[in-house]
Amino acid sequence: MKGSIIWNIQRYSSLIVLSYIFYVVTFVLRNELNFFSWSNFFLSFEIRFITTLVFLLIVTHAFIGLWTVGTDYLTNRTLGFLSKNLAGRADFLRYVFFSAFCLLGFVYLTAIFYIIWL
Amino acid sequence: MFDKKLQVSLYRYNPEEDKFPYMKNYTINKPEKDIMVLDLLHLLKEEDQSISYRRSCREGVCGSDGMNINGKNGLACITPISSVVKRNKIELRPLPGLPVIRDLVVDMTEFYAQYEKIKPFLQNETTAPEQERLQSPEERDKLDGLYECILCACCSTSCPSFWWNPDKFVGPAALLQAYRFLADSRDLKTKERLEALSDPFSVYRCHGIMNCVSVCPKGLNPNKAIGEIKSMLHKNKKDIIVSDGV
Repeated sequence: MKGSIIWNIQRYSSLIVLSYIFYVVTFVLRNELNFFSWSNFFLSFEIRFITTLVFLLIVTHAFIGLWTVGTDYLTNRTLGFLSKNLAGRADFLRYVFFSAFCLLGFVYLTAIFYIIWL
Repeated sequence: MFDKKLQVSLYRYNPEEDKFPYMKNYTINKPEKDIMVLDLLHLLKEEDQSISYRRSCREGVCGSDGMNINGKNGLACITPISSVVKRNKIELRPLPGLPVIRDLVVDMTEFYAQYEKIKPFLQNETTAPEQERLQSPEERDKLDGLYECILCACCSTSCPSFWWNPDKFVGPAALLQAYRFLADSRDLKTKERLEALSDPFSVYRCHGIMNCVSVCPKGLNPNKAIGEIKSMLHKNKKDIIVSDGV
């Protein structure tokens, strides 16, 4: 994938998430907040759709950040500064790190979908 | 200005004799006048002939004597000791992040490999005019702040992204040169040059830490050049180049 695409996804996702937070905060500040108003707010298909999209973007944004961290610090070279044994297992450790995040992201999104749509 | 004695802590490593590198302390009589760090090294070498370092022009043009002086990269030949000495002590180490050959001499292979990667020469396949390819003064102005780089490696070796990925991230020095050719009106390979830099590592590993700007002994701004390259990669057009004193 092109670097500019990854760069754009990370920047624009953060802007969209920020806009969403502003929108929700504005709703909270401008309305009397209780169970019914909050439920009604999330009953709207548009809000649920946007919320789903926003959480997808949060996970994508986090994955790009952690991918950068992983490819910076969990490499043969960088771990080699700590120990040769660790350096030899750098690729394995990096895949474990990415897999753990993918699993966590999947669980996170599943929970979000369940809460929002079911 | 100083006490009578000056302490110099010097990184020593001779792979033929030493298992590990170590810091060796030297105490020398304080010079009466302010001298450059390179002159200080000459004084030390009179005492200990085994000290190794690179040097050539001794006036900040060749870029040979880049080293880490009290924690900050710089050229020994144009760094007065008065500007770096702390508590009468100076610590000299090799440029960080590159393999050490001996003492202050580092292996620059990775650095030059990245420089080679950006094809640092004009590429123009049109028929050459009789005398030279002309530029307008405005076109020439765009190269100011770019062509002055002496490839001392102070910037690239102060960049954490280059420490972690010297084989993938091009590094500030080579990216400054990449932009020097992208900004040159006589070069016609803009698209190919940008394509070669479009992967997630070559340019985009720059996170704007700005160490390169802070240490450049020539006062250049690689970070701004990298920003210009990113702009070009996003728009992929040559006409977006701006030249407000990069």
